[in-house]
Amino acid sequence: MDRRESAASFRDPSGSVYYEGDVLYRRINNCYKDDYALFLDSGLYDDLVSAGLLISHIEVKKEAESSYKIIRPELVPFISYPYEWCFSQLKEAALLTLKIQRLALRRGMSLKDCSLYNIQFLGSKPVFIDTLSFEKHIDNRPWIAYGQFCRHFLGPLALMGMVDIRLGQLLKSYIDGLPLDLATSLLPYSGRFNIGLLLHIYMHSKAQKYSPDASFVDNKTKNRKFGIDSFYGLIDNLESTIQGIKWKPLKTSWADYYSKKESYSSQGVEHKKKIVEGMIGEVSPRLVCSLGANTGLFSRIFSSRGIYTISSDFDPVCVEGNYLYVLEYKEKDILPLLLDVVNPSPGIGWEGEERDSFIERGPFDLVTALALIHHLAISNNLPLRKISSFLKNISRTLIIEFVPKDDEMVKAMLILRKDIFEDYTQDNFEREFAKDFFIDQTVKVSDSKRVLYLMRRRG
Amino acid sequence: MRLKNGLKIVLLLISFSLVFTSNAYAYLDPGTGSYFLQLLIAGLLGALFFIKTFWRGILRAVKDVFLKLFNPVKKD
Repeated sequence: MDRRESAASFRDPSGSVYYEGDVLYRRINNCYKDDYALFLDSGLYDDLVSAGLLISHIEVKKEAESSYKIIRPELVPFISYPYEWCFSQLKEAALLTLKIQRLALRRGMSLKDCSLYNIQFLGSKPVFIDTLSFEKHIDNRPWIAYGQFCRHFLGPLALMGMVDIRLGQLLKSYIDGLPLDLATSLLPYSGRFNIGLLLHIYMHSKAQKYSPDASFVDNKTKNRKFGIDSFYGLIDNLESTIQGIKWKPLKTSWADYYSKKESYSSQGVEHKKKIVEGMIGEVSPRLVCSLGANTGLFSRIFSSRGIYTISSDFDPVCVEGNYLYVLEYKEKDILPLLLDVVNPSPGIGWEGEERDSFIERGPFDLVTALALIHHLAISNNLPLRKISSFLKNISRTLIIEFVPKDDEMVKAMLILRKDIFEDYTQDNFEREFAKDFFIDQTVKVSDSKRVLYLMRRRG
Repeated sequence: MRLKNGLKIVLLLISFSLVFTSNAYAYLDPGTGSYFLQLLIAGLLGALFFIKTFWRGILRAVKDVFLKLFNPVKKD
């Protein structure tokens, strides 16, 4: 079977990741042999897996080449990235990392890196995926990954909570975390009065400006120690600092979209749900992506049936509300993500391949685009041809709602602008989409002018 | 100014102890500043942790006393 090396796995010499078909393997190199043995023998692996904090794996075979072992980790249904997470998802990921570090210390180990990309979500739960991130803790040595933790977690969270939630998008530009001097320049002056931020962001940023000079070498400095109490103190302080960062979302026009009843009557919403429920049986999807999902009302039609559903929206307030609901009800099969359909996550990192673009992470068995097309076509001037072509790239089947020009919402959108959308008609919509999809079902939503379609990708 | 220079010297001295530290096989560059800072605030972090743990212990003890006072175990 063809082997494909992961483009995201090359920095850590301890091992690397590759795929055979859809199966993921992690190669452990000989240089990691002792740490891997300690990881298992110390009981840390069992601690973490039994608590659901780390992805489990099985050892599968020994390669002919020079690697030490090959393991097959449990697969995550969908890989998401930090710039697609809402505030609370990032916060949960940070707290998970600190919890793991504390457990590791108790077993004589420590995290040697603290990348945001070591975390993935299984519905409500963040889970650590990098089995090779643990090393033997050397007594009196500071945390090697402290700087990375502050850049990856603390800085972005502080900016999102205290300045503007949209600053989380900076993580797209800084793949190795937010530079601390940038964080200090963006944070409000009052941030200095928070002891955690003062230590881990402001002083940390200042300290990073010093660089070693050979003329100051002195053996006395070797006597400085970072004892285990200090280490636990550091973890505790980082944890309480992160717990203390809050974000209170402002109301947006999207967050209470369905409760305002501007677009639908209660009868219309119920009928729309029934139509979607009926269409699921025709498709039997395993992985669904709901675009413009708002707070996930329709995404839950799928997830409540055990179908893993990406519930995406471009509004951080909606995604936060959706995730808080997921957390409250401990939902396993729905993953709220921040995604702007008109500017989906690009490929980033080395050669633009280290982190896959949103489109490369598809296609999905089913994509839903409910009450979305008019925002794409009219608010964003996207031609129907381009919309159809994009959806064909990411979906095997599609449930899409057409919202005609005489719909109240579209009328409101056109009230202050010239109607340049002559091609935006139901006939043209069907004609353009029929080039990429077979149209299997067409159902009109009652008490509304909208129409739902079930389509199957051609080719 | 003198204090600032002193601090700078200490920081630079520590940096060199770290540069020549053995057994550091991590593939990440920890960043000299991040390493310095942890050594500098080690005492503070340890003390804060001690105080917090100590305070929690006191609170727990007080809570236990109150629980015993107001919810005495009933004897048959």
